[in-house]
Parts: sequence; structure tokens; C-alpha cells
Amino acid sequence: MDFYLGLAQVIGIHTLLGLSAWCVLHTGQVSLAQGGFFAIGAYAAGMLTSMWGWPLAAALATGALMAAAVAVAVGFPALRVKGLMLVVATTAFAEIVRLFFFNLQWRVQTPAGPVGPDGSLGFGGIRYFPSNGWTTLQVCILIWVLVAAVMFMLWWLDRSRVGTVWRAVGEDELAAQSAGINLTAAKVSAFGIGGGIAGLAGGVFAHYATHIEHSNFSILLATFAIAYPIIGGLSSLAGTLLAVIFIQGFLTEGLRFIGDWRSLLFGVLIVVVMLVRPSGFLNRSLGRSLGLGRATATPQTGDATRGASTHA
Amino acid sequence: MDLLNLIDLAQSLIDGVLFGTTYSLIGIGFTLIFGVMHKINMSYAAASIGAAYLSLMLVSLVPAPVVYAGAALIGGVLGWLIYLICFRFLPINNPLATLMSTVGMLLAIEELISHLTLGMPQNYPALFSSTNIEIGQFFLRGDLIFVFMLGCVAMVALTLLLKRTRLGLATRAVAQQPVAAQLCGMDVNATNAGTFVIAGLMGGTAGAMAGAAIGVLSPLMTLPLTVKGLVVTVIGGLGSIPGAIVAGLIVGGAENLFQFMRGVSERDIYVMLMLFAFLVLRPGGLFAAPGGRD
Amino acid sequence: MSRRTRTLATLTAAAAALGLAASAQAQEKTFKIYGFGAKSGVVGIFGQQSEAAMQAAAAIINKSGGVTLGDGSKARLVVEYLDDRCNAEEGINVLRRIASQNDAVVAIGPTCSNVAEPVFGILQKKAGDASDSGIQFPLYTDVAAKGGLASLSQWAFRNVPSEANMYKSIFEWVKTTRPELKTFWGGVEKDFAHSNATFGVIKTQADSNGLQVLGQSEWLLNDTNFSNQVREMKRANADVVAISAHPFTSCGVLKEMARQNVKPKLIVGLTSSSSMETLQGCGAQAEGLVIPTSFAPVTDDAKNAAAAVQAVNPKYNMDLHNAAAFENVFTLVDLVEKNKIMGRADTIQADRQKMREALASMKETKGLLGKVGRTDDREAVKPYLFVQAKGGNWVVAHTPKQ
Repeated sequence: MDFYLGLAQVIGIHTLLGLSAWCVLHTGQVSLAQGGFFAIGAYAAGMLTSMWGWPLAAALATGALMAAAVAVAVGFPALRVKGLMLVVATTAFAEIVRLFFFNLQWRVQTPAGPVGPDGSLGFGGIRYFPSNGWTTLQVCILIWVLVAAVMFMLWWLDRSRVGTVWRAVGEDELAAQSAGINLTAAKVSAFGIGGGIAGLAGGVFAHYATHIEHSNFSILLATFAIAYPIIGGLSSLAGTLLAVIFIQGFLTEGLRFIGDWRSLLFGVLIVVVMLVRPSGFLNRSLGRSLGLGRATATPQTGDATRGASTHA
Repeated sequence: MDLLNLIDLAQSLIDGVLFGTTYSLIGIGFTLIFGVMHKINMSYAAASIGAAYLSLMLVSLVPAPVVYAGAALIGGVLGWLIYLICFRFLPINNPLATLMSTVGMLLAIEELISHLTLGMPQNYPALFSSTNIEIGQFFLRGDLIFVFMLGCVAMVALTLLLKRTRLGLATRAVAQQPVAAQLCGMDVNATNAGTFVIAGLMGGTAGAMAGAAIGVLSPLMTLPLTVKGLVVTVIGGLGSIPGAIVAGLIVGGAENLFQFMRGVSERDIYVMLMLFAFLVLRPGGLFAAPGGRD
Repeated sequence: MSRRTRTLATLTAAAAALGLAASAQAQEKTFKIYGFGAKSGVVGIFGQQSEAAMQAAAAIINKSGGVTLGDGSKARLVVEYLDDRCNAEEGINVLRRIASQNDAVVAIGPTCSNVAEPVFGILQKKAGDASDSGIQFPLYTDVAAKGGLASLSQWAFRNVPSEANMYKSIFEWVKTTRPELKTFWGGVEKDFAHSNATFGVIKTQADSNGLQVLGQSEWLLNDTNFSNQVREMKRANADVVAISAHPFTSCGVLKEMARQNVKPKLIVGLTSSSSMETLQGCGAQAEGLVIPTSFAPVTDDAKNAAAAVQAVNPKYNMDLHNAAAFENVFTLVDLVEKNKIMGRADTIQADRQKMREALASMKETKGLLGKVGRTDDREAVKPYLFVQAKGGNWVVAHTPKQ
């Protein structure tokens, strides 16, 4: 039972990560920076609880806010570039964040010994959950309450004017701008909210793992972050959740019985899924018929005008 | 800065620039595919290293130059396979799907390499590895110069291919105006496949050169080469081959320079900041490709 | 007989046969020791070899009758090894998975230090602390060697060599046998927990044994260009060079040193590089490299163990990493028998407690090179020796007094 609860925790954290990428992908920007915001949230929240004894809620919230602030700061220059350049720019940003934490050394003395990030040796001793007697079930519930809250917030945003603006920007920037939509506000808000969600996920991750280090926050994590909404289908939030369950639940844990072939099948199955359902598990038509989510376009990595001439 | 330091600085720069040819070759592959299909092939560097691995089968049979040629040819075949698997049957207007399918391919190739070689680094033949040219206090690595020369030859060959052959003409036409190209009777699918084969040839060469320059092949090389290749592509200008060439040399040189000045822990931070500087000051890249009129 | 009756009869007979077989299977008791570590990916060879060593040990134990459980019955020893791919999250998942099996008393692992740290972190820190909701499951590590990890939890025990001791010894040996060596230059792979942490030890020991530390070169795990670092090394022209890195970058550096004609009088390597990987990647350039290690086939026990692993699968051999896994299986079986561990689903939590207490009160264990001592913070004091790369093989350079 403990194992399934643990797996549910992992799925929850990754769902939050996927939702943060969903936000940004929704406005047509492919960002590989979510791993960086995840790292910021993780280190910030971890440091606050283990070095200065902050309560968990405050630490998680602060971590999320810090990540959101950095995301907004990154969002502004991100407007200057589009498509592949944005992918590379966000990758570069995520690498800078990772290397920053690789070099960060800040330890304080606690009754239990020195605690804090120790450069390349990582940051251990984030034992808020076990020290305070949180059971696996309680942590699982916490994570899923957060997931539900974030999903609800995103669903509500999607139904509101903000969602319409995001989708318009995602569909066709030129048309949106002509209709008087402030592109800056739309893109930066998406980046900021996405960053905040990723920061929240990171904070929880740090406490779940009790030890974090720079190698946890590599490009691969960022790639997984955008994989979830793409494989799940951009038109619905539930799709992201399905994709996380598919990748973390099925591909990673469920396929264990195949032994050595598991890792090989991982990449192969992702390719197969894309070939079979290029718009994701819950794409527009399926999503609509199931009553989940609504229409959205696929973001463009090329010229803004190229995508507009063909219909998804 | 005293003379010794200056010499070291210059030496770092030279070494970096010479090694940068591998980045240029990878960057060319990325930019070629992007220029023609407006899609990223994330598995490109992995396929290049994979081609180098496969060419290891030839090592005991033929001399080193033939091994490199073998790597290039295998790279071409792999390129065509990747086109077939990850691009051919996916809807044209869905760049995200190809992004994901190529990511899946990247993971699969890396895993296959680790699986077949048990993750152990494999010795790769290098030419002129014991030859070193000493010019005064400067020390030029023979094998890096060879890699540099071969890289230049590959780039010249590519330019000739693109400018003088029908396939090259078709590639450029499809890159600029796929609809018009199709109206002129060009088979877009065949042309795209051809582009991937050409990029694959470059990639196989790049993989072989990277292996020769480092001396060993390891699956650890794929991710950093992918990231550097993308950085080079962006700095050089999307779709511009001369841009990728110059950018590769710049990135190679800058990387070593930053390492010399600030140490290995901060080196990549500065490389990324340099990328940002380019994006802010020259978002189109060094040589912005002539934009397609849409 | 009608066709229908015939089918029914066949099915019933088959079912009966299966039932008999199943009950016959059920008669045979098994006791499982779990293992987990990196079985795939770049460091996949470590986990695969650990598994092979554990299976070799189990085969030997089963040949002499198996494990005697607490109720006096004999059980066949079974090994189950799970893959964590050297990934922290997966390592945590795997531990939870193992801990929720009702036939899991103890596990050997993990392989990677960056997995060990979070995995040890989620264990209960102090045994018996009711306010700590950490997992209560004993782990007996074979490979993850970053210094001091077992102190993270009283449920974590390790059978890995003490790098502090080994490098102290090797530099003392250098001081006595080669007093003409005066200066030291270090090379370190900065972004891997193990190599980085061990380098601190190496530098300290070199310094306290009279070598003048001139400086160090640094690089990252997947770096490909070492010309700057080797040039620094060349300028320093130190007598002794230490390379605290894993085979990929070690080979890169050694090749660059050959290229730039940097020939220090002695090169000392990182413990975990004393494996076939290094010799396969750069055997020629690694010639003369000296590394302290806790395994070499120098005793009869060691030779037999190495042969047993090859018998499991000829592509695997024994090195210091899976030698520990091999030793661990024997140690654990011994503890099971001495402490009357039942291995039943209803006694599983009590069994785990017993195992933990047994591991904690061990004063010494049997190793392939001799007796292995235990420290208060749950680490091992393993016998060690120095090996040197000669002609594509590791040969014993010196066996120091311990």
C-alpha cells in the first residue's frame, strides 16, 4: 500500500510539473525552463524548512512565489524570441539555474549539524516530513490537494477571459494582436503562473526526496515537463494527468516486469504514442466528446505565419 | 596578465576553436533540418554518436579514415530512418509531435547504446593523435587540426551539394516555399528524406570527429552535444549554414576561454549568458537566413 | 466418451496436475534477499554485476542446503534485484516497493551515491523513534561509497571501503617507498558526488604525508576537452598526480596527458576506476596507474568468488563493487540464521527489527580479502590493497599492513 501511495505522490508532483508546462504551451511557447523553476522552488522551500525552521505551507508558498517572480523576469526577454530560439533560450536559462545551484554553498549550524546546500555535494537533510511524523498517506493527500487546487485554478482561468486570451495568443499571435490583445501581458502571465506552479511542485519534491542536488534538475526533467501536456493533449488538463500516469505509472513502474527492456521501451513507446496520436491522448475531438476542455491550436516552433496557413 | 598567462589564454582559444568544428558540424545538421522542415530533430546528436558507435564494427577491419567514412554513411542511413519513423507520418503542422517523437528517439538511441556497450566507454581511433605541431610556445594538436580540416572539407562538400546538385536545389526550394515547390512537381517527401540523409552524413562525420577528438565514445556525450548543437544553431541563425559554422567555432573557443578565466564550474553559465546576449542583441542570429515570403 | 466429456476430463486432469505442481512448489520454502541499484543506463554494469554476484552467492548457499530459518526449516535463497537507473526518484520508489513486500527483510543497495542519499534520508533516522515516520527497513549497501552516508539513518549499513583509510595508507606508502616525490597536483570530476567528496580526502592525505599540494584541475562528468586542465598540470610539473574521476573522463585526461607529454612520476586514481572500464577505454595510457581497492583475486576466497560470478554469466567479472554484494549475501544469511529470523509474512516487521539490531551489533564480518571490521556509525573497515595497471590488467602493487 505504501508503495502505491508513494507512486501516487510521484505522479502528483509530476502532474504539477506537467500543468506548469501546459500553461506555457497554451500560449504557443515551447519552454524548457520548467525544470529551472522546479529547482528554484525546491531549493527555496527546502532551505526555509530545514535551515530556518519555517512551517511547510509558508515555505512552499514562498518557493512558488520566488519561482513565479523569476519566471516573470524571464518572461519579458522571452518575448523577443519565438519558436526554436525560445526552446534554446529556455534550455539555456534552465542550465544557468542548475549551474547556479551547483555552485551554491550556504550552510547554517543547527542542533543536528550543518545543514544547507553544499555546492556540488547537494543539499540533504530536508526531513520535514519524517521528523514531523507525516505518514505516506498524509503526504499523498497534501500533494493531491495541491494538484486539485491547481487544476481547478487552471480550469477556472481557462473558462475566464484569461483563458480565451491565452488560447488566442496560442492560436495566432498576429490575429490576436490585431484584435487588441496585449501579447506581453498574456505571455508573461502564462510564464509567471507556470513558473509558480513548477516552483510549488519543486518545493514538495524537495521534501519528498529529503536530498536534492543539481543533477535532479537537468534538461531531461524539463523535457519530461513538456512531454506530459504534449502526450496528454494540449486541449485538456485531464490529458496531462493521463500522460503522467502513463509515463510514471506505466512506463516507469508498470513495465518493471520486462526487466532490462524497460528503458529501451521507454523511448520507443513515446515515439509510438506520437505516431498513433500526434495531438495527444485527449485531443480536441476526443476531449470535446468527453466534455473535457476545449479547442486549442498547437503552438508553432517555426514562423508565426507558417502555422497560420494550415489548419490543425 | 603576464606572458605565460597570455600564451595559455591564446592556447585555450585555439584548442577551443579547433574542437569547435564538432559543434559546427552538429549545428549544421540541426540548422539544415530546421531550415527545410521548420522542425527540430532532438535526436540528431544521439544519432550522430550512434553512427560513430556503429562504425566501431569496422575498426579491426579497415584503417581509420575508412572508419570515419563508414560513420558518415551509417549516419546517412540513420538520418533516413529517423525521418521515416519520426517525421514522415506525422502531420506537417504539428511541430510538437515531432519534437516529442524525436525526444523519444533520443532516449531510445541513448538507451540502446548503453545497453549494447554496457555503458562502458569505447576506444575510438584517432588520426595524428601523437602528432603535435609546436610553434614557439604554442602547441597545436595534430588530431584536432585533422578534425578541423575534415570538418571544413565536409562543409565545403555540403555547400557544393546544396548549390550544384538537383537535390540541393530541391532542398532549398522546399525550404523556401514548400507549396510552390510541390506545384513545380517536386516530391516534398523525397526531398525531405534527402535532407535528412545529407544531415545524417554530416552527423555521422561529426560523431566520428567527436570520438576521434576525445579518444573515447560514451553515451554521456549525447546530451551535452545536443544542447551545444542547439546553442550553435541559434547563435548562427536558424537555417543558415555559414552561421552554424562560424557559431560552432565561436562557441568552442568561448567555452574554453570561459573555462580558462573562471573555471569549470562556471564555464557553462557564461556560455549560456553569451547565448542570451546574442538573442537580445541579434535575435536573428549571426547570419539570419533569408526569410521565406509567406 | 463424448467430445465434451473428453475435454472436461482433460481439463480436470490438467488442473489436478497443476494443483499438485503448485502445492509441490509451495512446499519449497524460499527466503528472499532483495537488491536494488543501477541495472541500466551509463552505470548499468554496476547493478548487473552486483546482481550476478548476489546470484552467485545464493547458488553457493543453496548448494549447501540453503538458509535455516528461525523455526528450523530450510529455505532456498532467492535473489531479486530491482533497477533504479541511478535516479533518485526511482530509487525512492523502488525502496517503497521493496518495503511493502511481505517477504522483504533486508535489501542490498543502492549503486549510486546520489540515490543513496535520498533513500537513506527517507528511512527512520533513529530506530525506535515513534515521532519519526521514516521507513523502517534495513539496507546493507554494496556500492554507493560517498563518505559518511550511513550516518544518515540507523537503518542504513554499508559495506564499502573507507576512502579516508585507503588514501591515508597509499600516501604513507608513497612517502616511505618513494621519498623522492615531493609535489602533488590533483584532478577532480567536480559534479559527481563521489569523486568530488573523495578528492577532499585525497588532497588532505597527500598534504599530511609531506607532499606539497601545488594545485588542482577540475572538470565535469561529461566534459570532452581537457587541454586546459592538462596544460595547467604540465606547467605545475608535479611528481604525483591524482585523478579523482570515473573512467570516461579519466581516460580523456590520461589521453590528453599522453598527447601533451605530461609524464608525472606517479599517478593515483579513484577507487571505483580500478575496474575493466578504465582498461578498456584507455589501457595504454593508464599504464602505471595506482589505485587503492578493496578487491583483487589474491586469496582463494576471492578467486573462487570471481569464478562463481563468471559462472553466472561470462560477460561479468568481479570487482570491488560486486565483491561487496557477494560478501553481503553471506553476512545476511549468517545473521538470519544466528538471529532466528522467521521470514514469514506475519513476522515481517519483527524480522526487520531483528535484522537491524543484528546488523548494528556486528563487530566484524567475513570478507573475501580477510576480516572486515565495523564502525560505530555503521560503516565498514575493509582490508585493502593497491593495484596497478600493467599491460591491460590490474596487478597487485602492494598489500599494506592494516
